[in-house]
Amino acid sequence: MATDDVPRRHDRPGRQRNRVRTAAIGIVLAGYAWAAGSTAPFSATALVFVLIPGVVLASIAYWWPPERIPPPDKLDITGVSYWAICVAALFEWEASAYKDNSLPWHPSLTDLINPLLGPHPIKSAAFLLWVLVGWALVRR
Amino acid sequence: MSTRVLTIAVFAIVIAAMFALEFLARRPGSRIPTVGQWLGYLMRPRIGRVLIFLGWWWLGWHYFAR
Repeated sequence: MATDDVPRRHDRPGRQRNRVRTAAIGIVLAGYAWAAGSTAPFSATALVFVLIPGVVLASIAYWWPPERIPPPDKLDITGVSYWAICVAALFEWEASAYKDNSLPWHPSLTDLINPLLGPHPIKSAAFLLWVLVGWALVRR
Repeated sequence: MSTRVLTIAVFAIVIAAMFALEFLARRPGSRIPTVGQWLGYLMRPRIGRVLIFLGWWWLGWHYFAR
């Protein structure tokens, strides 16, 4: 068989199909995130928009698990301790703000992030990021 | 420096430290695990997987439905 007869890597039908599927999923997710970003806080619609990705990803993880990225057999304790210090500091600082009823002089992370999520495009982008993080967790 | 600015500064420092750790973890030969690696390690048992997934969902509910 001549080398010209062998389909090149980027011409393979399977690869092209995957690319089309990924693009289609991306468009649907972006549309969904845009719609989710337009919902009013504390509304039933907003709750449903958050429930659906949770149910879909939980179903995929349980019934149709994708190929998972293998976790490490063990972690370096010193390396993990750096993360533990940061996570503990974040939780402690957040808890102290919560304990103080999130007063203006000691706002909680939620009080600081909520105004940033006000504009529709930013809220939608954050929602899309949240869904993608969920998908990354399913693969772990 | 007001107390509010100090509070925000501490949040910013901790979050910046986390980004720095992730950057350091991605260097070749690093002993620091990436977020994905330590989350993957925590998610090895089923209970860890369920709890991490619930934590992810709670974040979405907290920021987008409330």
